[in-house]
Amino acid sequence: MSELAISAQHLAKQYEIGEAQHNTLRDQITAAAKSILRLSDRKKRQKDKFWALKDVSFDIKKGEMVGIIGHNGAGKSTLLKVLSRITEPTKGRAEINGRVGSLLEVGTGFHFELSGRENVYLYGAILGMTKAEIDRKFDKIVEFSELEQFLDTAVKHYSSGMYVRLAFAVAAHLDPEILLIDEVLSVGDLAFQRKCMNQAQSLRESDATVIVVSHNMFSIKAMCDRVLYLSHGSVLADGPPEEVIPRYEEDILGGKGALDTPRWAQAKLGNDATQRPVTIADMRILDEGKEPRTIFDFGERVRIRIKYEMRQSLRDPNFVVALVRSDGVGCCNYSSDLDGLEIPTTLGAGELEVLLPPLKLVADLYAVHIVVWDGKFQQLYGAQIGGSFHVRHELFSSHFGVYHEPAEWSSQCPDLAKK
Amino acid sequence: MASSTSSKCAQPTAPPPQIPQVRTRIVVQPSKGFIRLDLRPVWQYRELLYFLVWRDIKVRYKQTAIGAAWAICQPLLTMMIFAVIFGRFAKIPSDNVPYPIFAFAGLLPWMYFSQSISRSGMSIVSDANLIRKIYFPRLIIPASAVVAPLVDFALSFLILLVMMAWYRVTPNWAITTLPLFMCLAVCAALGVSFWLSALNVRYRDVGHAIPFLAQFWMYASPIVYPVSLIPQHWRFLYSVNPMVAVVEGFRWGLLAKESPEFSVILIGTSMALLLFLSGLVFFKRMERRFADIV
Repeated sequence: MSELAISAQHLAKQYEIGEAQHNTLRDQITAAAKSILRLSDRKKRQKDKFWALKDVSFDIKKGEMVGIIGHNGAGKSTLLKVLSRITEPTKGRAEINGRVGSLLEVGTGFHFELSGRENVYLYGAILGMTKAEIDRKFDKIVEFSELEQFLDTAVKHYSSGMYVRLAFAVAAHLDPEILLIDEVLSVGDLAFQRKCMNQAQSLRESDATVIVVSHNMFSIKAMCDRVLYLSHGSVLADGPPEEVIPRYEEDILGGKGALDTPRWAQAKLGNDATQRPVTIADMRILDEGKEPRTIFDFGERVRIRIKYEMRQSLRDPNFVVALVRSDGVGCCNYSSDLDGLEIPTTLGAGELEVLLPPLKLVADLYAVHIVVWDGKFQQLYGAQIGGSFHVRHELFSSHFGVYHEPAEWSSQCPDLAKK
Repeated sequence: MASSTSSKCAQPTAPPPQIPQVRTRIVVQPSKGFIRLDLRPVWQYRELLYFLVWRDIKVRYKQTAIGAAWAICQPLLTMMIFAVIFGRFAKIPSDNVPYPIFAFAGLLPWMYFSQSISRSGMSIVSDANLIRKIYFPRLIIPASAVVAPLVDFALSFLILLVMMAWYRVTPNWAITTLPLFMCLAVCAALGVSFWLSALNVRYRDVGHAIPFLAQFWMYASPIVYPVSLIPQHWRFLYSVNPMVAVVEGFRWGLLAKESPEFSVILIGTSMALLLFLSGLVFFKRMERRFADIV
């Protein structure tokens, strides 16, 4: 019990939809008059409540790094707000042992008219640091932000990147016993992002308890020992990242059990995959050594094992493995027919395996779509979405396009010293 | 923030477990019924109060041409207009004291009060992003709106001293009571600020009504006219306005006129305390929903 940093017991939070509409006293009076004359108004108003958190309970020990994942609107930010005491729970309670620092947004409270230096003090105080603490850490904060020369200019003249770097530099030096972070793990350009990730890593070494809400599965996998999966206000799963994250990814890709049909194919093939000429029964993502994996480094080779059922005798079946990025961009295709594989046309169950060439895709999450055409891409026999995997690359994320590969460079100018 | 005391948010329903090493322990739970007025968090966050006041003052005078001189110009110019319109044209009596200084002595605490309530009315709403994303005792916000105008007050007070020298007005011992009357003004300002800032979060027309409220209140206080103008049988009701006691006290302390009636002071003080306590309770009750509805 003495090692628990946070103990949440049956937390629940109810919101009234439309509550944030600012009534004027006049509206309130007319609404009251209306409800006296007509009861229907009251009933309508009672319906507009919803539970952002429903019976959330968990215990977090001191020093644990916990990630919270879930779809938008699952209640993740609400949970952090309740733990930060920004809003009150409707039911339940939480016990928190330790000094709490909350980072729900970077730069809240920055005032544009004030200079960078003044904002460091203001923001530090808002986050909960004492003036003495800020004085002590001031030089380190400025060094982290790399904005020494702009400290005395008003923040309204800063670029958005500079602004966010200064704010993050202050936040990074907050030294609480319990840190609650809402999706602000790294900001700014790549070099700065790497600094942020290093800072986040140093949190692992300290004995701070950290709760991170994020959509970035990389950061969660890299930082957290434990993940809570929240959906519609309840905790669906609570355990190590390898167990919980696949559940989440399965849910967001809609691939629970039977592999779903991509939307573009639904019109042609209908919704029921078992009525099609070819059904994909199972799909596994493996590495070159045939071990199941979900994260690959740039340059590694992915092996995909497909189990299918053929119901009709097909002419020239052509299995196409397509990799579709998390933002819906189709990045590349591999075709069994073009690569010279002859698929046996016997009816019934079959199994295929494809070893992809070394990955050239940028760092992101990719879903594997398996589409079965005929050899001339005119007849569609089947289409399903399988699992997904992450590609890791230090530098290139989806900002940099779809793929990257080395090229051969040469320099023409004779005066330049060859590097 | 270094907090070495154990702080609780609301009435605990279970006995707290014994945790010897940990220095801070918080229980987060829905607050029930009557609020216990726990002002310890406000003390713990006093540095934030300082920074918010500092921020408001700095921002007000950045990029202005005459900067802090506005704190002096405003009451001076107002006084001059009053002196011409009310003093000379309307010939309002001023208790045997030159009208300009009579008006100025009243204007000083008044401008402090009116600035406090104007700023605090909008204070929570204008810092809505702070309310939604950061934890700190919400009382700090209207409190900072009430502390900041003290700086302006201090500057105008210097001008008052100059004026007193000019008119050769010498105060008597009563000047030592000035800090007490100032406390009364702060108390009343805080009370009204708590009410207005909390109401404005829910009903935005309160914010629109404040300028009107301030104007009305000014005429309900003895700024441009002396209390002796009010008929005797109205005096009791009139004194319910705590600013009456404040202004009378200021005139007594600074201008060495006769002391105000004790009943006026008593009623004014009780009213200020009532405003303060009721405002505090109301604010703490409304506070729970601020982050949800602001």
